[in-house]
Amino acid sequence: MAAMTEEEPRLPARHLIERLGPVLSPWARARAVAALLAGLTGTVFVSALWWSEPGPLPGRTHAAFALFTAFCLAWAAYGGWSLTRRVPLFATDRVVAGWLSVAASAVTAVLVTAVAVQRGGGLLPALAVAVVCVGAALVLVVRAHVRRAALLRRRRELAGEEEK
Amino acid sequence: MTDELLVVRAQLGERAALAELVLRWRMPVWTYVRRMLDAERADDVAQEIWLAVVRGLPRLREPERWAPWLFTIARRSVTDRLRAEYARAEAFAEVEAVADDPAEATVERAELAAVLSGLPVLEREVLVLFYLEDLSVEECAQVCRVPVGTVKSRLSRARRLLREHLTEKGWQP
Repeated sequence: MAAMTEEEPRLPARHLIERLGPVLSPWARARAVAALLAGLTGTVFVSALWWSEPGPLPGRTHAAFALFTAFCLAWAAYGGWSLTRRVPLFATDRVVAGWLSVAASAVTAVLVTAVAVQRGGGLLPALAVAVVCVGAALVLVVRAHVRRAALLRRRRELAGEEEK
Repeated sequence: MTDELLVVRAQLGERAALAELVLRWRMPVWTYVRRMLDAERADDVAQEIWLAVVRGLPRLREPERWAPWLFTIARRSVTDRLRAEYARAEAFAEVEAVADDPAEATVERAELAAVLSGLPVLEREVLVLFYLEDLSVEECAQVCRVPVGTVKSRLSRARRLLREHLTEKGWQP
């Protein structure tokens, strides 16, 4: 049809691909993953500190904890939105992001448990939070590996078919 | 290399495969957009489509259905643009007027393209997808989100309208 109308896109192919560059930038993906993980880790840690604080707290302290939690949640929401709507996370990226989330959740689990031990109470809830965090991260990393393995298998099959 | 293999490689994160996919499908996408919109907006919308494709590619579960998936995204972008124009009371009439614009016809120097632009949007769309993009009737139905029977009736109506327009312009089969 283009030949029929002697018409071509005004944007050359090279420019089209260049304009996709910012979306495909590894830094954009790293920023989004970092925002999500830092936000979630911060939320869990600050909430754990808030709940395990001994004795009644003054109103201003409650407000400060609430503010910190909201701040961390906002970063987590931004990271989640970026990863689902703005930045493509391909199969290999998902595996890397999965392992980063395992590391971040392990650090969170250790910190939350350490806080509980130091304050001498709330060890069970702290352990429950730790298990949930690490468990969720492990589920993500396993799913990412399964998806990547399926794609690698399909790539081998298709490449084999083309060679025949 | 087949499209499916390119899609799988792109989904794994291979930039070269993604670039090749974009290069291979750049013209078909642009042709579809250009047949639905004027040249001024076609480049913008094509760019939007490719952004949406790159963002959505990791979620494509059936790489073998790449073409219908791509044109579903393209159609959504075109529809959004047309809807925005409806809101501004410019409506489809402006798009259809492309064919009646003698300057545009002169620029294109292709009577058939002008006639195609003169068809109603729904008929034109299905004609472009079926004949120019080589999608099957089932794939057209998936892209347009209508039953297969509707695609067939739109195709039939589009062929009839096209024949009438061409006959009016003195073209003899």
